[in-house]
Amino acid sequence: MSQPILSLVIFLPLAAALLMIFLPKDNKNLLYGFALAVTVVTFALSLFLFFGFDVRTGGPQFVEQAAWLGDGLQYHVGIDGISLFLVLLTTFLMPLALMSSWSSIRDKIKEYLVFMLVLETGIIGVFAALNLFLFYVFWEAMLIPMYFLIGVWGGKRRVYATTKFILFTMLGSLLMLVAIFALYSHFHEATGAYSLNLFDLYKVPIDPKVQSWLFLAFALAFAIKVPIFPFHTWLPDAHVEAPTAGSVFLAAVLLKMGAYGFLRFAIPLFPNAVEKFLPILAVLSIIGIIYGGLMALVQKDIKSLVAYSSVSHMGLIMLALLSLNVEGTVGSVFQMLNHGLSTGALFLIVGILYERAHSRQIKDFGGVSRPMPVLSVFFLIAMLSSMGLPGLNGFVGEITCFFGIFTANKVYAVLGLTTVILTAAYLLWMFQRVMQGPVANERISSFRDMNKREITYLIPIIILMFWMGLYPQTFIRKIEPSVVQYISLIKNDRRVIVHKAAGLPVKWGLRQKDNKAR
Amino acid sequence: MNGFAAAAPLLVITGAALAVLLLEAFVNKSNKNYLAILSLIFLSICALFCARSWNAGLAYFNGMLRLDNLSLILIALFLITTAFVILIGMKYFSARALNGGEFYGLLLLALSGLIIMVTSLNLIVIFLGLEVLSVASYALAGLNLRDSKSAEAAIKYFMMGCFAGAFLVFGLALVFGTVRSIDIPDIIAFLGAASGPPVLGLIGLGLIISGFAFKIAIVPFHMWAPDVYEGAPTPVTTFFVVGPKAAGFAVLFRMLVPLWKESSRSGSIFDFLWALSALTMIVGSLIALRQKNIKRLFAYSSIVHSGYLLIAILSGDGTGLVFFMAVYLFMSVGAFGSLIALSYKDREYGDLSDFAGIGFKYPWIGALFTVFLVSLAGFPPTGGFLAKFYIFVGAVRQGLTPLVLIGVLASLISAYYYLRIVAYMYMREPINDIEIEMENPALFLVLFLCLFGVLQLGLFPGNVLYIIKQAVASLVGF
Repeated sequence: MSQPILSLVIFLPLAAALLMIFLPKDNKNLLYGFALAVTVVTFALSLFLFFGFDVRTGGPQFVEQAAWLGDGLQYHVGIDGISLFLVLLTTFLMPLALMSSWSSIRDKIKEYLVFMLVLETGIIGVFAALNLFLFYVFWEAMLIPMYFLIGVWGGKRRVYATTKFILFTMLGSLLMLVAIFALYSHFHEATGAYSLNLFDLYKVPIDPKVQSWLFLAFALAFAIKVPIFPFHTWLPDAHVEAPTAGSVFLAAVLLKMGAYGFLRFAIPLFPNAVEKFLPILAVLSIIGIIYGGLMALVQKDIKSLVAYSSVSHMGLIMLALLSLNVEGTVGSVFQMLNHGLSTGALFLIVGILYERAHSRQIKDFGGVSRPMPVLSVFFLIAMLSSMGLPGLNGFVGEITCFFGIFTANKVYAVLGLTTVILTAAYLLWMFQRVMQGPVANERISSFRDMNKREITYLIPIIILMFWMGLYPQTFIRKIEPSVVQYISLIKNDRRVIVHKAAGLPVKWGLRQKDNKAR
Repeated sequence: MNGFAAAAPLLVITGAALAVLLLEAFVNKSNKNYLAILSLIFLSICALFCARSWNAGLAYFNGMLRLDNLSLILIALFLITTAFVILIGMKYFSARALNGGEFYGLLLLALSGLIIMVTSLNLIVIFLGLEVLSVASYALAGLNLRDSKSAEAAIKYFMMGCFAGAFLVFGLALVFGTVRSIDIPDIIAFLGAASGPPVLGLIGLGLIISGFAFKIAIVPFHMWAPDVYEGAPTPVTTFFVVGPKAAGFAVLFRMLVPLWKESSRSGSIFDFLWALSALTMIVGSLIALRQKNIKRLFAYSSIVHSGYLLIAILSGDGTGLVFFMAVYLFMSVGAFGSLIALSYKDREYGDLSDFAGIGFKYPWIGALFTVFLVSLAGFPPTGGFLAKFYIFVGAVRQGLTPLVLIGVLASLISAYYYLRIVAYMYMREPINDIEIEMENPALFLVLFLCLFGVLQLGLFPGNVLYIIKQAVASLVGF
C-alpha cells in the first residue's frame, strides 16, 4: 500500500478540527460547510478502503506501521472485514449527523463542530488500531469530545449525565489499562521482546489463572461500553441528555466499540477465560435483552425508549458474538451495522420531532402522521428495520445471529428470541401512540413536514437499509473471510494445557526460540 | 580547574541571586522588570554551563558536588521552572503593587538550594541545600504583605519546615552514629549488607525519609501544603509545586533505589514507603473531592501526584520518575499560569463557582486550561497520560500491581475533580461579569510553551525519553 489512505481517513477530521479553530466563529454557513465538506471527503476516502478491499484474505489490510514511542508502543493500524464496516459506518453517519445539527445546534457552533470532528478521529482510530497501546490512546482520547458534546449541548441534566458517562467508562478502561500493563510485562518475560502488537500477543499463551483476571478487566471495560446488564445505567442518562447527533453517535458507533473490543481483544486474547466466563456473559446478555425490552415498553419519553431498545439489541449482538461460531459472529457484526443504521435513524427522527414539539413525551403526541406523512414513512421504515422485517437489513442480521446462537446453545436461542416479540411490542405501541390516531392537539396539526435537508440526510440511511436487506452479499462477502480467520484463531488450541502430573502450565519454550529467530 | 566547572552552575545562580538582591536594594527604580530580564540572562548562562558538562561526570570538593547526567537533567528542569515562574510573575507582582525585586532574588536563592540538593551524595551537603531552599521559600510564601493568608502561609511553612529539618538532622545523627559516614553510598552499603541492619540505623533512615516526606508533601506529612499553596502568591505556589518536589524525589531516588538493589525490595523501609504511597494517593484523592477553592484543590492533587512518584521510587524506575517530573512541570506551570491569566487587578479566581462559563467567554485561556487539566487527569494524547503510563508499567513489571490498582483508582477520582472544573467552565452560565486583564505577553508565552511541552511529551517524547534513559543508565550503582 503506497498511499496511507487509512491514516488519512483517521487524521483528516482532526486536522480539519485544528484548522477550524482559526475560522471566524459567527459565520454559520462557512463553519457547517467546511465541516460537512471535510466529513464527506473523509467518507469518500473511506470508500477507497471499501473498493480496494481484498476479499481473498481475512487478515488486516491497508496496514501502516511506525515505531512511534518504541519498545512495542507502535503506531500500527489496519482494517479487516470486521473493522472496515465499522469505520465506514462512522464516516457515513458523520456528515448526516452534522446535517441534522444544522437546525438543532444554534450557538457555540464552532466548538461543536470541532468536537464532532475530533470525535470522528477518535472513533475511527479505535477501530483501526492494531496495537493495544494505540487502541487505548484512541479509546480514552475519544471520551473528551463526547464529554463536551453531552455536557455543553445536552439537555437539562447534561452535567450529571456526562459526568456519569465519563466516570463509568473510565472505571472500566483504567482497569483494562492495568491489564494491558500486565500483558506488556508478560510478553516481555515470555519472549524477551517488547510488544503490544495484537498479532504478537495472540501467539503467547498465558497462565489460565492470570487469564481470568486479565479477561475480567478487559471484559468490564467493554461490558460498560456495550453496555451489558448491569453496567448499563449510564446509557439512558447519556442518550436522553445528549444532543441528537451525540445520541446518534453514542448508539450507532460508540456502543459498537464495546462489542468490537470483545471480538478483537477480550475473546481472542484469553481463550481459557472465555471458556470459563462464557455462561455468565451469555446469561447477562439475555437478561439485558429482556430487561432492556421491558424497560423500553414502559418508557414515557421516546428518546429513552430508543435508548433502552439499544440495551436490548446490544444484548442480542453480544449473545451472537458469544456463540463463537462463524454464523453467529457474522450475524453479530452485521447486526452491529444494522443497529447503527436503524437506531441512528430513530434518534434522528426523534430529533426532528423534538424540534417541532419541544417535547419527547409520548403523551404530548398523537396523530402526527397526518401533518407529517413523509416523516411517518421514514419512521415506519426505520422502525421495521429495527424490528427485523424481511426485506430490510434487520431481518438478515437477526436470522444469521439466531442461526449461530442456535448452533451453540438452544436454550440461549429460545430466550434470545424474546427480543423479536419485545421489539415489535414497544416500537409498534409507541408508533401507534405517537403517529396514529386522531390529532392530539392544535399544535400538532401545525407541524411542518420534513424539509429537504431532513429528507436528504435520512434517505441515504433508508437506501442502505434496503440494500443490506435485499442484497446483503455486498457486505457479508467482505465480513466473512475475516470472521472465519477469527474463529479459527480462537478455536485452534492455543489454550494453555495443564500438565496433569506437575499441575503446571506448559511453558513457551518453543515460541521463545522462533520469536528470537524473527 | 576541571573540578571547578562542577560548581559553575551553582556559582552562577548564587551570584545572580546576590546581584539581584543588591541591585534591588541600591538601585531606585520603580519598574522591576529589568531584574527579571537579568535573572533570565543568568539562567541561560547557567544552562550553557550545564549543557557543556553533559557526559563529563564532573566532581568537586572530593566528590561533595558532582554533576552527573541525572543532576544535569534535573537542573535543566529547575532552570525551566524558574524561568517560567519569573515570566508569569512579572505582571503579577506589579499589578498588585508588590515589590517584585525580592521575588526574583529569593527565587534564584531557592533555585541554588535546589541545585545543591541534586548535585550531592553527601547528606550534610544535601541538608544545606534543603535549608537554603527552605529559608528562601518561607520568605517567598510571605511575599504578599497585604494578605494575611500569605503571612499565615509563611509562618506555617516555617514551623513545619523547622519540624521537618529537626527530623532530618536527628535522623542524620543516628545514621552517622551507626554507619560512621554520611555519604549515601556508604550508608546504603552498610544498611544493605549488614545481616539484620541495626535498628538505630533504620530509625535514622526512617527519620531522614520523613524529613523529605514533608518537603514533597506525602500523607501524613502533608498538612502544611494546602494552606501554603493557597496563601502564597500564585507564581510562588507554582514554584513550590514543581521545584522542591522534584528535588526531594531526586534525593529519595538516589538514596533508596540502590538500597532496593542491596536488599531486594524487602524490609521495613520498603513497606513503610509502600504504605505511604498508598495512603498518599487515597487520602489525597478523597480530600481533593471536597475542595471548593481551586488552589487547595491543586494542592491535594499535587499530593496525589507525589503518591504516583513514590510508586516510581518503589519500582526503581528512574526514567519514569524523571519523565513524570518533566511532564508535571509543564502541566502544573500551565495550570497555575492559567489561574494567573484569570486574575483581575488584585483578585484571582479562587472558588470553583468563579469559573462558571468562562470557557466560552475567554476561549483561549479556557482551551489552554482545559488541556492542562486533561493532562493532569491523565488522558491521552497528553503528556500526563504517558507519564503515568511509564510509571505504572514499570511498577507492574516489578510486581507492584496492587499499588498500581490504587493508582488508577486515584486517577479515576482525579478525573472527576479535574473535569468538574472543566464542567464549570463550559457547562454553566457565567455568573460574574468581571473583565480580566488580557495584556500579558510573557504569561501567554509561558502558557503556549507549556502547551507545546504537554503535547510534545505526550505524542513524540522520543528525544526527551532517550536523553533521560541515557542519564539514568549512566548512574553508578543503579
